[in-house]
Amino acid sequence: MIDIDTIFFTIVDRGKANAVLHKARELGATGGTILLGEGTVQSKLMDFLGITETRKEILLIPASAGLDAVLHEQLSEAFKLSKKNKGIAFSVPFKRWSVDESVQEHNISIDDERFTHCCIFTIVDKGKGMDCINAARAAGARGGTIIHGHGAGVPADSYFPLAIEPQKDTILIVSKKDKAFAIKSRIYADLELDKPGNGIIFTLPVSRASGLFENKAEERKGGSS
Amino acid sequence: MSLLLDKVKEVTKTLVPVVVLVLIICFTIVNVSTDVLVRFLVGSVLLLIGLTIFLWGVDLAMNPIGEYMSREVATSKSPVKIAILSFLLGFLVTVAEPDLLILGNQIEDASGGFLGSALIVYMVSIGVGVMILLGIFRLLRDRPLNRFMAITYGLILVMGFFVSQEFLAIAFDSSGATTGALTTPFVLALSLGLSNVKGGKYTEENSFGLVGIMSAGPILAVMTLSIVSRQKNIHGDAAEYVFQKGIIGPILEAIPQIFLESLLALLPITVLFFIFNFAKFKIKKHEMLGIIRGLVFSLLGLVIFLTAVNSGFMDMGRIIGIEIAKMSRGLLIATGFVLGLIVVLVEPAVHVLGSQIEDVTGGYIPVNLIRVTLSLGVGTAIALSMVRIVVPAVKLWYFILPAFAVAVLLSFKSNPIFVGIAYDAGGVASGPMTATFVLALAQGAASSIETANVLVDGFGVIAMVATAPVLSLMILGTIFQRRKVVELKHEAEETSPAAVMPITLSDFNHDCLIAVANRGYAEYIVDLAREAGATGATIFHGRGTGDHQAVLLPIVNIELQPEKEIVCLITDIDISANVASHILEDEQLAEKGEVAVYIAPTVALIKDLSQN
Repeated sequence: MIDIDTIFFTIVDRGKANAVLHKARELGATGGTILLGEGTVQSKLMDFLGITETRKEILLIPASAGLDAVLHEQLSEAFKLSKKNKGIAFSVPFKRWSVDESVQEHNISIDDERFTHCCIFTIVDKGKGMDCINAARAAGARGGTIIHGHGAGVPADSYFPLAIEPQKDTILIVSKKDKAFAIKSRIYADLELDKPGNGIIFTLPVSRASGLFENKAEERKGGSS
Repeated sequence: MSLLLDKVKEVTKTLVPVVVLVLIICFTIVNVSTDVLVRFLVGSVLLLIGLTIFLWGVDLAMNPIGEYMSREVATSKSPVKIAILSFLLGFLVTVAEPDLLILGNQIEDASGGFLGSALIVYMVSIGVGVMILLGIFRLLRDRPLNRFMAITYGLILVMGFFVSQEFLAIAFDSSGATTGALTTPFVLALSLGLSNVKGGKYTEENSFGLVGIMSAGPILAVMTLSIVSRQKNIHGDAAEYVFQKGIIGPILEAIPQIFLESLLALLPITVLFFIFNFAKFKIKKHEMLGIIRGLVFSLLGLVIFLTAVNSGFMDMGRIIGIEIAKMSRGLLIATGFVLGLIVVLVEPAVHVLGSQIEDVTGGYIPVNLIRVTLSLGVGTAIALSMVRIVVPAVKLWYFILPAFAVAVLLSFKSNPIFVGIAYDAGGVASGPMTATFVLALAQGAASSIETANVLVDGFGVIAMVATAPVLSLMILGTIFQRRKVVELKHEAEETSPAAVMPITLSDFNHDCLIAVANRGYAEYIVDLAREAGATGATIFHGRGTGDHQAVLLPIVNIELQPEKEIVCLITDIDISANVASHILEDEQLAEKGEVAVYIAPTVALIKDLSQN
């Protein structure tokens, strides 16, 4: 756990992000951004019925070093993140950039001992999100969150002047650092990311996390995160 | 919480008020036979199951089909092919609509056989085909919807002067009949798919409006029929209504007919999709299975839902209408208002529209606010329909024409995204619940009031329900346009200097840049980033609060979270600083876009896993 400027990520059930943001503002956060996403469910019945997703909201709050610790402590308590399936929170070191910044220094490393977890981002074509999560699960991840987005426009050759915006799925997977390489390799191989245009994968260090259930997952693979 | 529970909960929340209210009426005011009461309760349970399954099916099947079809339409290189395809889509989904055939038969009776039901069904379908064609060209050419609809309704207004009152009611009713339980979700999905393929700045506005455009088709078609055939009056009386007896019997009896109708309504979309899949899409087996499962769910859910509504709700609506109209006219109007308020929320398409609004605007427009507005609109509409039944001097056009005139005017003042939502809401609100329960209520009331004519006053109820939400949502859109910004006071935050980490092993080959800005600036940011050397980018859509201010909606004072776009870029570490500065230095962006850029070093596996 390191004190460092971060973006504080919270993933909770759809509809709850407003309350979290409200509480965070009381604690001193200046603002936040909410994205809609989908979490995963693991149940044979649900899978058969075609329900493989639960609706989630992802809340991003820029936080200074001091605030980050407060947010973790207070929000975990207020929203019971320590209980299962109540949501998770993690912080990724991010620096807010300003114009007068002259030199950029890389003053952190993902290999730093104090980063126990990392967050794997995979961006693939729409519809492949579940494939990615299945690949990650095969390599020991518990679950993931899918956010729908789109790529930047590419002018298309058709009658109307369209800029086709390819629809993309972005998958967030938080895992222990020692598992991350296996997960990444598996996704990379299963989704054939070595071929151009199939997608990219990148990892961000996580400086602090609440509500993760890594260990229980070893005993019983299931539930959602 | 799983999606299944979510859907059950959502449907239950909308259904419970209806059941409770009807039960209260049954136990206090109206004496209802046990048969009807039990059938209503069984119907409610069936409705809950049916609607949940149906909404699932729509999620699984309609959205992907709409997406594939719209991509096929939009990326076509020849305008003739686009025209033919879009006309076919509109024509086929309408021609199979069971409600339309029922309406056709009613008109045939009412015009003394002069206008055949087949003629009406084909005319209306051609009308819808043409409107869908025009609507798709409008969308792809980026013509503003408010102007398009102003012209369309201008035309309707002019034609309205040449058409008799009865046909005015029939024309508007037929528009409600065409936007059925299956058609509306499909057209909504088509609209969403098209705007996603089209892309650009107006993606969000373009995601709505096609249902609204489509529902103008039948109005124009029926009015043209009336003018050309010089048919002015409708006559005849409605057949004597027979209440069904028993509990299980009527429910079982209804199933085969409804199954056939639902299958027929689902068939054109399915067949067209499979033909295209065979010739063009060639969707993977896994995905295809999901879509087929969705289609089966849609059919199953629709059959259960319609059975429940037809056998459980129709008799109940009629009895309440008859009995309350006998008692007090004021009470009738009040009951109409309250029932309208809550019944509309059970309409399947209202759920579909709600979740689409949430997805498209990233949760910026609170779905509950839309529901409340819709409720108020429909409640008022049904109350006014009751007034029309009670007081013969009050004519339908007193409400409909001014309401549309005001809505058209407001569409130029309203928040652009609401223009599409508002026009869509008309078709969305007038679904199977209105066509059965509410209509039965109105007809029941008309049958116990001497001055009313069951047939004449029966027409026009759907028209009212289709009109009112357009106006009420347009008003909400105008209020949204006047949202205000309130400064928030924050205590100065202490920024403790970040701890500096020593570099241990530099495996960072890239930086992750996240830029958060107001909606509409994402493309611009990508352009700037490209100028500075970045390559690809992924754009997300969300909502958020600014640094030191809150945005409030006037009157109700609800805090809104303005829509934001988040651009995620992976850049080489050597250029990330340049890219970030280049974005921040842009004055226009800093001023209006309220942009903030965050940077973090990242390990990107782009092509070099083997070396890692």
